[in-house]
Order: sequence, then structure tokens, then C-alpha cells
Amino acid sequence: MLKIRGLECGYGRMRVLEGVSLDVGKESVGLFGPNGAGKTTLIGAVMGMNKLWAGEIEFAGRQIGGTDTHLMARMGVALVPQERELFPGMSVEDNLVLGAAYIPHAKGIIPEQMEKVFALFPILKERRKQLAGTMSGGQQRMVAIARALMSNPKLLILDEPSLGLQPSIVAEVFEVLRELKKTVSIMVTEQNVRESLKSIDRGYVLENGKIVIEDSAEGLRTNPYVLKSYLGI
Amino acid sequence: MALKRRNLIISVFALAATAALLLWRPTVLIYGLQAAGLYAAIAIPMGLVLGIVHIVNLAHGEFMMLASYATYFTCKALGMDPLIAIVPTAIVTAIFGWIIFQLTIRRALKAPELNQLILTFGIAIVFSQAINLVFTSQTYKMPLDYVSASMDIGELTFGIWSFVFVAAAILFAGGLNFFLKRTTTGKAALAVGQNPKGAAIVGIDVYRTYGLVFALAIALVGAMGALFLTKSAIFPTVGSPFTMKSFCLVAMAGVGNIPGILSASVLLGLTENFLRAFRGSREWADIVFFVLIIVVIMSRSLKGRKS
Ligand SMILES: Nc1ncnc2c1ncn2[C@@H]1O[C@H](COP(=O)(O)OP(=O)(O)O)[C@@H](O)[C@H]1O
Ligand SMILES: [Mg+2]
Repeated sequence: MLKIRGLECGYGRMRVLEGVSLDVGKESVGLFGPNGAGKTTLIGAVMGMNKLWAGEIEFAGRQIGGTDTHLMARMGVALVPQERELFPGMSVEDNLVLGAAYIPHAKGIIPEQMEKVFALFPILKERRKQLAGTMSGGQQRMVAIARALMSNPKLLILDEPSLGLQPSIVAEVFEVLRELKKTVSIMVTEQNVRESLKSIDRGYVLENGKIVIEDSAEGLRTNPYVLKSYLGI
Repeated sequence: MALKRRNLIISVFALAATAALLLWRPTVLIYGLQAAGLYAAIAIPMGLVLGIVHIVNLAHGEFMMLASYATYFTCKALGMDPLIAIVPTAIVTAIFGWIIFQLTIRRALKAPELNQLILTFGIAIVFSQAINLVFTSQTYKMPLDYVSASMDIGELTFGIWSFVFVAAAILFAGGLNFFLKRTTTGKAALAVGQNPKGAAIVGIDVYRTYGLVFALAIALVGAMGALFLTKSAIFPTVGSPFTMKSFCLVAMAGVGNIPGILSASVLLGLTENFLRAFRGSREWADIVFFVLIIVVIMSRSLKGRKS
């Protein structure tokens, strides 16, 4: 699905990623690392928001390094950004419609997709006329996830989906991710390693711009370094 | 919410002024509304560009001026009425606007605001000076009888042609509202205005949308160029006061607030004609208008600093 090889990337003169290689197949993959490790930068490179300095990115068998963001979306990569990036002055419903309206393989099935995401997040159905910008942080996160799902993606990328959410909603979000990974490839970055290990198949640990650990969820859970640095044991 | 309250305040003022004028000097009301229609119809496309492309187009009125010249010489050559030329002019200016956008403004979208202002101001100067070079500063006017149509109510007689500007303003505001709220393309444009990054993430081609919105705005202002020609004489700098006034109206209404532009235009049109009735002096009207603008913008930025 997604294949990254030797990716280097940065801002101005500062190099953030120093040769990262990573794969996402038909599975759910976690990307962990401390704040500032470069997780968002890596996602930005995949989504055509950051220029590649070196390396290659392949999606669904095609070289995509440097492809524009809107074309990545149309190819089937949906992003739930760290900052949510909703349309605050529009209703929840319009936000969701726009999630699919410009995606060739989704624009014909908007009502069906809408029913699907409402089944996952019933609260959004109740609030569908509300302006997205007036909702709580947790609900906005749900709108962002729902909007991404509207596009019926092949690959769903979530950047710190639990950031700033209260625990009950964090649990709900990860429950949804467990459900979703049956049908869509997922790449998720997280600070909340403990919770997210339950909903991924494999994971990578990114530190100082390099992948330092790559293992199955089970392997990560018992890895002494992960236990010490990320699970606080 | 803040937008709604501002609209309410401006509308209440405008309504109160209207009622008072209706009793006291009906012609001030009538000509004030006609002027308001002209201002609003020209300012609305500028508001559209500011709200979605986030560019202050200081060549806005100059695009209208170019459209007026193009309409004038085409109509002269073909013996045509400018009214028939409205739609063709809009189409041609839309294409022209799109080309100007791609060649210049598109490249400055990530530049600091000051650079963008200098760019569009430069475009304005190039337009008016180019016309000045080719056609000199001579004025041109279409001789049309229907523009002097008038109406009598009781002992009151007034010109009615300029109500077309009111119609244009209402049509533009209503049409844009429909486009932005009800059509997918319009919603996408609104989304780009509210969050370009979010728009790209859902597959919207942000730069293409900017180009289309800019072209649409220039089409509207081009249509106004043809309509303006029916009533007024044109000369190379005829557009620049409209740039200024449009900018002030948009600033008064706040970004992305089309109904606010309508009510601010009514306020401006009435104030101007009110002062003219008193003093018979045009300069006075302009001064008061700009004082009003300064007060509004200052009070807003003071409020902004507090919150
Ligand atoms: N737009 C930017 N301009 C300059 N530096 C940035 C920008 N975004 C992130 N950085 C820097 O790049 C590094 C990696 O950031 P980021 O990818 O956001 O990390 P993470 O998502 O893992 O927390 C940090 O040092 C951060 O300060
Ligand atoms: Mg991040």
C-alpha cells in the first residue's frame, strides 16, 4: 500500500527526517516517538505538503513523491490532521459532504458514506446542522475522522487522534480504529502508546529523525526500551 | 456570532436613517439607495475575493474601468447597446481576470501582505496608465435616452434608471449566497476560504479554486463596467474611487460578510446624498465617509485588542 524508502525531509536548513523507511500494508501501523521527532513531518511528506529532500514514496504501486495534496486525497489517502483542519463556519453535514465531493470513487455514494460515519459517531448525526467551529475539541476530532472516512479511503492516516481528548473519548476513538482496520489500511501517530498498541498490528518508533525500533504490537509491548520510555514502567 | 451582531447594528442604523429620510427628504433616500446599489454591486465581488482568495485587490475598480472601455468601443463599432454587451463583457473579463491571476497574483499568494498590496496597486496603475496612453484622458460617454427615464410621485420627480444598480446588487448578493451555500462548487470555494489546508486534504484543488473565484469576481465587476457605461462618462481613472470605496465597504462589513456589504453600502449612499443635500458639496461627502470608515475600523481594532 504505502512504501517509504530513505526519506529525508526538513524545513529551511534543518533536517528533520534522516533517511526513514517504513511500510504500511493491509494493516494498521503505529508511528510513535516523542514530541518533535518528525511524525507530522513524515505525514506531510506523504501528503505532498512537505518537499522531499531525498528518498522515495510509493503508494498503490505508484511513485508519489511530490504529488499535490489534493491529488493524494483523490488517489485514496485520507488524512486526519493533528490540527483537525475543519471548515469551522460550515455545518457538520457540509464538512462531511466535502469529505467525499471531490473524491472520484466516493462522490457518487455520499448518502451511503454518510450513513456509515453516522453509525460510527451517532453524536454527529444529532449535531449535523451545527457549525463545526462551535463544537468541542473531542467532537471536532470526530468530525475530522468522519470527514476522512467519507472519502472511502484506501489508506487512512491519523496524526495524534487522541491529542487533547478526555479519556472516555480517547477510548471511543481507538474503538473506532479497531473497527476500521478490518476494511482500510491505517497509519496512526500517537503519544498515547499504551492505548494505541491495542488497535495496531505493527509499529515503528521514530527518534531524532530515524526509525529506532520496528516490531509487532506484541513485540513493542514487551520491548524493554519501549516499556521504559513510552509506557513508563 | 460577531458578524451577525455587526450586521444587526449596521442594518438598524440604516433602517432608522431610511425612515427619517423618507419623511424629510425623499429624494435623498432615493438617490442614496441608487448610489448604494452601485457601490454594493462593485464591492461585493471585491469582498468575494478577499473572503476566499484572501487578497485585497487594489486593481478592482480598474478592472471595471477596462470593461467599460472595452464595452464602449465594441458598442461604438457595432452600433450596439451596452446592455446587450453585459454578458459578453462579463465572459471576456472573466477570462482576462483569470489570466491576470495566473500570471501575477497566484505567484504572490504566499508573499507578505504588503507585497500583495503593492502588486495589485501596481496592476491598477498599469491598467489606468495603459488606457491613458492609448485613449488619452478624454472622457467617453454613451448617448442613451433611457437613462433619463424618470418617475413622478405626487410633486416628486426623480430619475429611475439607476435602480438597475440596486437590482444588480441584489442579484449579485442573492446569486453568490445561493452559489456559496447550495452548490458543491460554491461550498468548496467557501471551504477553501475558511481553511485552504483542510480543503486540499479533501481533494479540492485550492489554486484552481482561487483562480475561478477571482475570475468570477472579475466577471461580475466586468458586467458592472458595461452597466456603469450606460449612466456615466468614463476616463482612465474612473475606477480608482470605486476601488477605494469597495475596500472601505468590505472593511466595514468584515471579511466574508456579503449582507454586511449591502447594509454598509446603504449607509454610505445615504450619508453621501444626505450631506450633498445640505451643503451641495461633493468633497464634504467624501470626507465624512472616510471619517466614518476610520471610526468604524478603529473601534473594531480597539475591540479586537481587548479580546
Ligand atoms: N513548519 C515548520 N517550520 C519549521 N520547523 C518545523 C515546522 N514544523 C515542524 N518543525 C520542526 O520539525 C521538527 C519535527 O516536528 P514534527 O514533525 O511536528 O514532530 P512530531 O509530529 O513528531 O511532534 C520539530 O523540531 C519542529 O519544531
Ligand atoms: Mg506532530
